[in-house]
Amino acid sequence: MSETHDDLSIELKQLIIETLELEDVAPGDIDPDAPLFGEGLGLDSIDALELGLALQKRFGIKLDAEAEETRRHFSNLNALKALVEARRAD
Amino acid sequence: MTFTPLSQAPWRRTVSPVPGLPSGWTSPASLPARVEAWRRWLAGRPGGQWLLCQRYPGEFCAALVALWESGRVAVLPADDRPETLARLANEVEGTLPDAPDVPAAADHGIQAPLALTPSSTAVVLYTSGSTGDPVRLAKRFDQLDAELAAHAKLWPLAGTAVISQVSHQHIYGLLAGILHPLCAGAPFCGDASRYPEVLAARLEEAGGAGLKPVVVSSPAQLSRLPDHLPWTERSAPCRVFSSGAPLAAPHARHAERLLHAPVVEIYGSTETGGIARRRQTRSSTWQPLPGVRLSFEGERLLLRSAFLDTPDAWWQQPDRVAPAANGFALLGRADRLVKIAGKRVSLVHIERTLADAPEVIEARCVDLDRSDGRLGAVVALSREAIPHRHESRRDLIQRLRARLSKHLEQVAIPRYWRFVDALPSNPQGKLDRDLIKRLFADLDDTRAPRWLGERRPGADSCTLTLEVPERLAYLEGHFEDYPLVPGVVMVQWAIELARENFGQLGDFQGLERLKFQRPLQPGIRFTLELLRREDGIAFTFESGEGRHCAGRVRLQSRDGTGASHG
Repeated sequence: MSETHDDLSIELKQLIIETLELEDVAPGDIDPDAPLFGEGLGLDSIDALELGLALQKRFGIKLDAEAEETRRHFSNLNALKALVEARRAD
Repeated sequence: MTFTPLSQAPWRRTVSPVPGLPSGWTSPASLPARVEAWRRWLAGRPGGQWLLCQRYPGEFCAALVALWESGRVAVLPADDRPETLARLANEVEGTLPDAPDVPAAADHGIQAPLALTPSSTAVVLYTSGSTGDPVRLAKRFDQLDAELAAHAKLWPLAGTAVISQVSHQHIYGLLAGILHPLCAGAPFCGDASRYPEVLAARLEEAGGAGLKPVVVSSPAQLSRLPDHLPWTERSAPCRVFSSGAPLAAPHARHAERLLHAPVVEIYGSTETGGIARRRQTRSSTWQPLPGVRLSFEGERLLLRSAFLDTPDAWWQQPDRVAPAANGFALLGRADRLVKIAGKRVSLVHIERTLADAPEVIEARCVDLDRSDGRLGAVVALSREAIPHRHESRRDLIQRLRARLSKHLEQVAIPRYWRFVDALPSNPQGKLDRDLIKRLFADLDDTRAPRWLGERRPGADSCTLTLEVPERLAYLEGHFEDYPLVPGVVMVQWAIELARENFGQLGDFQGLERLKFQRPLQPGIRFTLELLRREDGIAFTFESGEGRHCAGRVRLQSRDGTGASHG
């Protein structure tokens, strides 16, 4: 089952919704395997910058200069979760 | 290297390679081979206008030069949406591929490079007009060269390397990120440089090659520069440009502090090219670029310059300005165009596209002046299309977003949606600023219900249409898996909204006949009916599901009178 109810998933969903002010999205609407950008949740290039800042503030995560890699981390919630688990500073 | 105008083919100069710059950079020495590859691809194909939409600045520049030297014109779409490209494809001879797939040996039948004629068209650009229809603008070589000469005079690029964070499909990115370095023989890069982490790496790379970086940026990037990256003084740029929209003063200070460099803003438009510049940490006044003459008529700005299509006529800029010493202050747009992430977006265009949806009666798109720059939309729907629950509201928003995404870039699509059965209006029949503020008040007040309209059948009664915002503060931690509005909050809303509508009603004395019949969940659209009574108010919460809550509140003023009429 891909549905995740763990604390970090919920925290990340709330971080996305709050940071990007997605007023029409509830945490349950974010499918952990669906794309966050473009077709899925409909996020865009400005959201990517905002999300990068929010990850740094909340988890102390510094993104790499490899743009392709950054894009892969942001591809869906599970990928984002894996990034936070691997790199969180706290 | 010295500055050479486009019309004298600066890419044909003999140059030595710049050692030490990794791939991802385009250096003047590497360009001729790519130009030849594109010239081979073009050989034998029709002349005329070709669509050029290319992500990588080096390939873009090589293809552009190949088009020019074969007597063709480059048509630059403003975005890469499939609908945009398909629409423009009908107006041109063809579309250039991502890469020129021609064997290296196939070089027969290639014409010698043609000299460029200053009076002929170099590029065709697109921008959004006030009606929302794309406006097509041709630029001649003499216009581009005049503007590039102004850049070269103010900001010479000798000994620099240019890092662009903006699209070269638009005039500013084209001039500052590609053509100026091309004329000056400076290496340049773009694409992934728009990410701050990549920018930091490219600054280091330029410094490592013994070159001073110049950054071509925009408020979208500069306002979101993270401070944890290694912005060192050693790799500090000699200059950072910003254009596309005015940069907020705190963001200008933030960017100067982090990047250890002056941030120079350029004000202009696709029609006019550059008009003025400022360094906001020194002065907020815009000073004209060399060769630009200004004139003011009230709040209207008129200008003449060699960058314009007709240099000897006054051009009226659709921005409102206030004249100032040696320049002017910008007051805002005179038409219904806004800038989002530096892109010109027509509110009329969004409204018309929304109104084409079968369920939409009419739509108003509003700039909410929020720090995120996102737009709001107030959409009047036919009765049966009004969403009553979270799921149906979300589905409707996704359908409308999908419709808009065929015509607009993602960032221009409204983020905040308010669905109504008719657009709210003031006594003059207008959806004014105050009403807009009310419709979107719950964005900043997470304790309020979302207001979507109200009816006042009489002096003592009022029916409000409301929604439970998904981000309502009261929902948090109440029941994790079954969020609902606590009963006490419903009563509190009834009292607060009664005070807003009927005036001061006195202090709380007690509750009567209170009945909770159904939970009120996030995303539900409901009505709140309020009746003023002798001793307080009566209220009823109802939705498509039925009655949620009803009751009476006794209220009494300190002097002993009840909620008396009048």
